[in-house]
Amino acid sequence: MSQYIIRRLLQMIPTLIGISIIVFAISQMVPGDYITASQNPNMTAERADQLRAIYGLDKPPVQQYFIWVKNMLTGNLGDSFQHKMPVTEVINTYVWNSFIIAFVTMILSWTIAAFVGVFSAQFQYSFFDKVVTLLVFLLMSLPSFFIGLLAIKYIALDLKLFPTGGMTTAGLNAGGFAYIKDVVEHMFLPVVVMTTLTVGGLTRYFRTGMLEVIRQDYIRTARAKGLQERTVIFKHAFRNALLPAITLLGFELPGLFGGAMILERVFAWPGIGQIYLASINMRDYPLMLGFTMFLAVLTLLGNLISDILYGVADPRIRLK
Amino acid sequence: MKKRLSLMLVTLMAFGSILAACGGGEEAAPADNGTDSAVTTPAESGEDAAGETPAEGADSESAIGLTEATDMTMNPPGAVNRTDSMIIGTVAPQGVFNPLFHQTAYDFAIDDNLFSSLIKVKADGTYENDMADKIDISDDNKTYTFHIRDDAKFSDGTPVTANDYLFTMKLYMDASYDGQSDPLSWNVVGANEYNKGTAKDISGIKVVDDKTVEITVSDYDAMTQVNLGAVAPLPEAYYGKGYKQGDLTSVKQLNAKPVGSGPYKLKSYSAGQEVDLVANEHYYGGVAKIPNVIFKVTTDTTNMAMLQSGETDLDNVTVNEDNVEELKSMGFLDVNVLKNNGYGYVAMNNKNPLFSDVKVRQALTYGLNRAEVVEAAYGPYAEVINIPQSDVSWAYTADKINTYDYNPDEAKKLLDEAGWTVGSDGIREKDGKKFEINFSATADNPVVDALIPIMTENYQELGIKLVTETLDFNAIMEKKDRGDYDMFFAAWGLTPDPDTTVYITDGAQNNSGYSNPKVDELYAKGKKELDLDKRKEIYAEAYQQINADAPEILMYQRTNMLAINGRLDGWDISPYKEYQHSLSQVQAAQ
Repeated sequence: MSQYIIRRLLQMIPTLIGISIIVFAISQMVPGDYITASQNPNMTAERADQLRAIYGLDKPPVQQYFIWVKNMLTGNLGDSFQHKMPVTEVINTYVWNSFIIAFVTMILSWTIAAFVGVFSAQFQYSFFDKVVTLLVFLLMSLPSFFIGLLAIKYIALDLKLFPTGGMTTAGLNAGGFAYIKDVVEHMFLPVVVMTTLTVGGLTRYFRTGMLEVIRQDYIRTARAKGLQERTVIFKHAFRNALLPAITLLGFELPGLFGGAMILERVFAWPGIGQIYLASINMRDYPLMLGFTMFLAVLTLLGNLISDILYGVADPRIRLK
Repeated sequence: MKKRLSLMLVTLMAFGSILAACGGGEEAAPADNGTDSAVTTPAESGEDAAGETPAEGADSESAIGLTEATDMTMNPPGAVNRTDSMIIGTVAPQGVFNPLFHQTAYDFAIDDNLFSSLIKVKADGTYENDMADKIDISDDNKTYTFHIRDDAKFSDGTPVTANDYLFTMKLYMDASYDGQSDPLSWNVVGANEYNKGTAKDISGIKVVDDKTVEITVSDYDAMTQVNLGAVAPLPEAYYGKGYKQGDLTSVKQLNAKPVGSGPYKLKSYSAGQEVDLVANEHYYGGVAKIPNVIFKVTTDTTNMAMLQSGETDLDNVTVNEDNVEELKSMGFLDVNVLKNNGYGYVAMNNKNPLFSDVKVRQALTYGLNRAEVVEAAYGPYAEVINIPQSDVSWAYTADKINTYDYNPDEAKKLLDEAGWTVGSDGIREKDGKKFEINFSATADNPVVDALIPIMTENYQELGIKLVTETLDFNAIMEKKDRGDYDMFFAAWGLTPDPDTTVYITDGAQNNSGYSNPKVDELYAKGKKELDLDKRKEIYAEAYQQINADAPEILMYQRTNMLAINGRLDGWDISPYKEYQHSLSQVQAAQ
């Protein structure tokens, strides 16, 4: 197993090199750079040249690429043009805010999807299944900013149940439990909206997985032995139905850290998604490339994790 | 999974292009106008524009200006009880709390309260002394002596000295300085040598005594005094610890822990959430009347809701009739609709033979119903302009300015005179060439959306075919740099001073390729003249010339809206003097 992991990790190196070349090439091909994107009306040609020299943007692209890679190997992603601090620090400042809501959303949506999926598979084509299917597709097709705005209007503004936006109450100098309570109140609406959006797709995965398993011979055998339906479903069928889902779990890894661009804006949540989006618009290459590479590494790791988990969960799969 | 990922990518790209397009197109330029004339509002300026919806009707007389709160009893208790603090809604600052390095107008607003400069901007766009109590200028306008106030202190209690000023100038002139200012253009003697590392000191800056500093420049212009005076001295004892010539890393590391001489000091900052300021008890201008100021991050989806619930006391809200109506109906808000320091225009490629004839350019201006476009895009909250200057500026003139009111007959006459005759298919032609304009448009920009249909119809009537292509704003800018374009729409920001390179031959910002030696001469003269009355005449003449040449189709000057809780009094706000300059003098009404 450890040999397999090492081999997979080594295989990641050429993949990462390929990714780095592609993202860097795209950044070079996109028109404009930070200096033109800032649209400073007083920018003289001389000052623009000075800035490009300071940022190293005046060098040939190939040389820029190798400087960037060399710095990355030493753990230095460079300084963000906009934030005037190291990219790693910018990411570290915002990524955890995104992680909190993504993590809670993941737990909630997986739990809900597992139960709903299993029940709608068990009672396939029943009224419950039809209602769930309808709801699931309805929720999947709603644009996130739209339900976000609706939630703000009705739940936050009219009913005043939760705050309209942000992560903490302004001027609140609380620590400990009061602080946690404040953050939980603020994250309620974004988490609910994000869960609503993701739960739909997941439910379909669980339902399909379950449907396949339920038709297997060993389930018929289990029923034939006279086992209770609950035991059949949750002990025998559910564990096997989980297998395809485990693969999905690994893919969730980059999503946990990637941030939710649209919802973060709607709820003024201080996450990395908005920062990443701004870095693209402002052509803040160090931040944009650095975060893209960060996500690429997470995606590859997620792949590896799901393969390993699959092997662990299913003894029929042997990883060599 | 693949599907979800690609969906995300599509949304991302769609959003990205919207923001990029508007960020460049509509509010391309800085929203601020303080002493530091070069701070931009990057990405989110586009979002504002994207959120703006066309409004119609209403009477333009009352649309611009201040509407006071009508019923303070409707003020939510949360706001009423907050007597020792105010909460300001803002777009997320980036946490660059150093006037040398800040990149956005939002960091700038906070820095303005943490640091003070030798001079400050007045409501009319001119400057007055702030931390300097006297400024002497030599007869040749090349030596400037600043006398720093005796009581000027940093927030840690140490006095502001001439050495701190010199130190700050060194940071500006440093080879690794990458902030928004262009310090080498200030022409301070010895600055280039310091920048290149061939000198350890800036020979043109002489510390006369603790409170007096003398600066010599190799060449002066009207902005010299402003450039030198707008510098906010940083305490050398604090920022200078790790500084080595050629490397500003140690200074930047202190961006999150500022020490300055402004009315407030930083208490705490949580990225993307809020910035807490507390009054600086050492402030020479008198301790601020409201001791706590909190900048809370809001977005265009939450800002109105938070004003309404009393969670914020002040915020910028997108101007449109619905928003104005709603804010006014709340009763407890003072609603300020202020002229924006900037203007939108349709650029024409003057180097393209199509537009090289002044008669054609005039015809295209006459032939476009600009009032209708502006009305469609902004309702009563923008006005058609005819010179590239804000009508609140001292340099503004309406004297001998042609207003180019919509007049298709005049336009047709001018086109005939220019030799463009109507062909058999109704399209004008000259020397066998059809009059066809290729308009490069940005997507999802409210002005472009309003402009294109009206322009197509108007120009069709003149016998001109308008073809549009939709591009990313950066792509349009690249086409512009290559000179490979006919027309595009963009906007400029205006600084308090009228000097600009937009209309001078081969100027760095000259997008249209316009060239008129007379205008070049006037701009050069205006830059060198220090007497305000004489400058007024010079710029008036330049504007008259530009107006006659019509190098671009000037469109509109729009407005910004600032809503302030009526419980706060003592503001002194103008398009040039933003709200942040008033914070220390504002008090809560009893």
